[in-house]
Amino acid sequence: MSKIEKALGRARSEKGLVVVGSRTRADGSNQADSQSRDLTVPEGKAAGTQSRADAAAAIAQMNEPSLRDRSELTLQRIIYPDMAENSTVQAFREIRTRILQKTHGQNCVIMVTSVAGDSGSTFVATNLGVAFAFDAGKTALLVDCNLRNPGLQKLFPNQSPLGITDYLEKADLDVADIIHPIGIERLRVIPAGDRREIPSEYFTSLRMKQLLSNIRQRYAERFILVDAPPMSETADTQILAELCDYVLLVVPYGKVTNSQVDTCIKSLDSKKVLGVVFNNEPSAPSLDWKEMWKASLVLLRDSFLELIRTIRNAAKKK
Amino acid sequence: MATVHPDHLHKLLIGEIFNSRRAFVGIFIFVAMTLLLVGLAWPKGFVASTTILVDEKNIIQPLMQGAAVATDVMDRSRLAKETIFSRKVMTQLLMDTGRLKEGSSPDKQDEHFKDLRKQTSVSSVTKNIIKIEYRDDDPERAYLTTKRYAELFIDETLGAKAAESQAAFNFIEKQVQEYHEKLVQSEEQLKEFRSANADALPGSDTDISSRLSAQQTRIEQYTQELHDAEIKRRSLEKQLSGEAEVATALSREGQYRTRIAELQSQMETLRLSYHDTYPDIVRIRHQIADLNEAIAADRQQRDAAKASGRVLIDDSVINNPMYQQLKRDLSQTQVSIDTLNARIAEAKRQMNSALERGKRVHGGEATLAELTRDYQVNRDIYQDLLKRRENARVSMNLDKERQGLTFRIQEPATVPHEPSGLLFRHFILAALLLGGLVPVGIMYAKLQFDPRIRIGSMIAERSKLPLLAVVPHLWAPSEVNMVRQEIQWLGILVMGTLVVMALISILHLARVI
Repeated sequence: MSKIEKALGRARSEKGLVVVGSRTRADGSNQADSQSRDLTVPEGKAAGTQSRADAAAAIAQMNEPSLRDRSELTLQRIIYPDMAENSTVQAFREIRTRILQKTHGQNCVIMVTSVAGDSGSTFVATNLGVAFAFDAGKTALLVDCNLRNPGLQKLFPNQSPLGITDYLEKADLDVADIIHPIGIERLRVIPAGDRREIPSEYFTSLRMKQLLSNIRQRYAERFILVDAPPMSETADTQILAELCDYVLLVVPYGKVTNSQVDTCIKSLDSKKVLGVVFNNEPSAPSLDWKEMWKASLVLLRDSFLELIRTIRNAAKKK
Repeated sequence: MATVHPDHLHKLLIGEIFNSRRAFVGIFIFVAMTLLLVGLAWPKGFVASTTILVDEKNIIQPLMQGAAVATDVMDRSRLAKETIFSRKVMTQLLMDTGRLKEGSSPDKQDEHFKDLRKQTSVSSVTKNIIKIEYRDDDPERAYLTTKRYAELFIDETLGAKAAESQAAFNFIEKQVQEYHEKLVQSEEQLKEFRSANADALPGSDTDISSRLSAQQTRIEQYTQELHDAEIKRRSLEKQLSGEAEVATALSREGQYRTRIAELQSQMETLRLSYHDTYPDIVRIRHQIADLNEAIAADRQQRDAAKASGRVLIDDSVINNPMYQQLKRDLSQTQVSIDTLNARIAEAKRQMNSALERGKRVHGGEATLAELTRDYQVNRDIYQDLLKRRENARVSMNLDKERQGLTFRIQEPATVPHEPSGLLFRHFILAALLLGGLVPVGIMYAKLQFDPRIRIGSMIAERSKLPLLAVVPHLWAPSEVNMVRQEIQWLGILVMGTLVVMALISILHLARVI
């Protein structure tokens, strides 16, 4: 847990979130534990404090389906609060804090894009959303706008949930129909829906603007993270950037050059760019060398025995 | 090219090695095993060496300074290489060491020569010391070959030097004979010419020209004198024409009249004081009358003489001395003119004679000069060649006696007991070191030359955008297991390589391999 969070936790006295939308679903599940870890507002802002308390109550009533267990999260390379000492978790907490400082705590639409493909922008967007959702007073919504190669689809294995393309194509669909819980507290996802090859037509539509406006107004403490395609692959990203409040640029380790980064930055509105996240820096996993040494010997022994067995069998056959 | 800051280098290098662990281990195994195999195949070399001192300052040289020319050796090692790698020396060496038999095929010979060149190294230790090294599998053969190399090199070089001196002497000798013939021929020609042209002596031309000059001067001088004499003669003639032959002295009548005038003057003076009757006056009157009478008598006599045509000898008439003098000078001048004319004629005749002779001499002198020049040149060259021939003879004798530039074996070849050069243990050491360093070096080069971004802070510095965070790779448990297994296998491979190297080293030490 970051220092800022600890400080905020100490100062926490009351919780408050402003409920803007009207589609909050009541849920009987016990959220007291998560509420106790909520973010608070500074004292002296009585009106705000009251509204935040309402919002927190509303968030607390969000319908959460069965939560994913840790092993599943780990498998999906998604962080969880208990990984507190993990440097990756610390990095995402750091990003979250920097964004909150920049936006003064106001909810906003942040486009997460990358310089080139396979840079981990979906990984950054997902885990940043999770980091926002660590705070019981905040919620995050991931919007998969990578219509050609939707990265968030992996959160819905063997499913084809309604997504953004369905919403934009079918006027009778409601926003609530495309927002799906993914088994992580306070984190919702709008998947891409069916694959589309010409996304720019969708992004320039009025309904798209209305969608973003709607989801932003749904919760005052909701941070919307738009997972956009890499900038070098399509111009749709720039159209999306126009619709979003901020842009977060993901630069992968050892995959892009300075000139590629410069080109991306030049094509973005500098006022909207929150900053750069340098992703996937190499780090060795914590390896138990003693165990590994033992395992190596066992492996060697087994291999040796297997080899002898094979030779014997071959000799018998002859 | 991305310049990696040293602060980041360590971390980046470790990260890159971890990422490229398979390549790292692969390169390690490849390098190590390659060097191991090279080490096994590397021939064990025994090197025998010998040094030869090129002694160019022996006792003879100062003694013979100036008389003999010591053969200089500019580049010792080059000379040695040229000699040693000559076909003659190599063939002799191979025959002596029993590696080449009589009648071997040219291909086999060439192969042996190539091997010899590869195994032999010739270098200059100092200016005067040549080192010959020979490497062979067999220490005895290395020793014998090196020893024979030195002997053959010395023999060959000195032999070549003696042959060179002999050739030089022969050439000079031949030249001496040629110039001797030329000199004799020149002398003969000169002699014939001189006998045919007596006038054509050295200095004739000068003599004639001085004579001509003297005659010319003399003619000019005589001409000038003649001119003066003629002027003198004309002047004398002129003076003579205006001068009377005789000169008349004062006449007697004049004397009388002068006397009368004097007496008249006296009488006038006396009349002032006295009467005409005064005796003195009377006496003076008588005297005047006497004088008048005398004048009258003289006139009568002269007139009578004139009338009769007689010459009246008048004692007042005398010969003119000036006239006489001029007449005499004129005569003398005429004599001088005649003499000068005769002299000028003689001088002109002599000058013409000298000119005729000069023309004759001039024609022969050019031929004489040419003949003389030929003779002198031939004589000088002949004399010089004679001196050189003697020098060459001394040099030749020096080389024959092996007293000039000499070669001495300073350090004789010995049988090498220990193998030299790269040994198996060096290859093992290099395999371990390079096996680790080569992949690290490749990774380092990749970091230095690959322009892709590997340091997050560089983006912030360059684009002035805040770097929100550096997100390390998040390992999924399955990935960790895979990495673990991979590292185990890679470790086994590395260990296996090391075990193989150790086993091969032991077998090599035990001389099994």
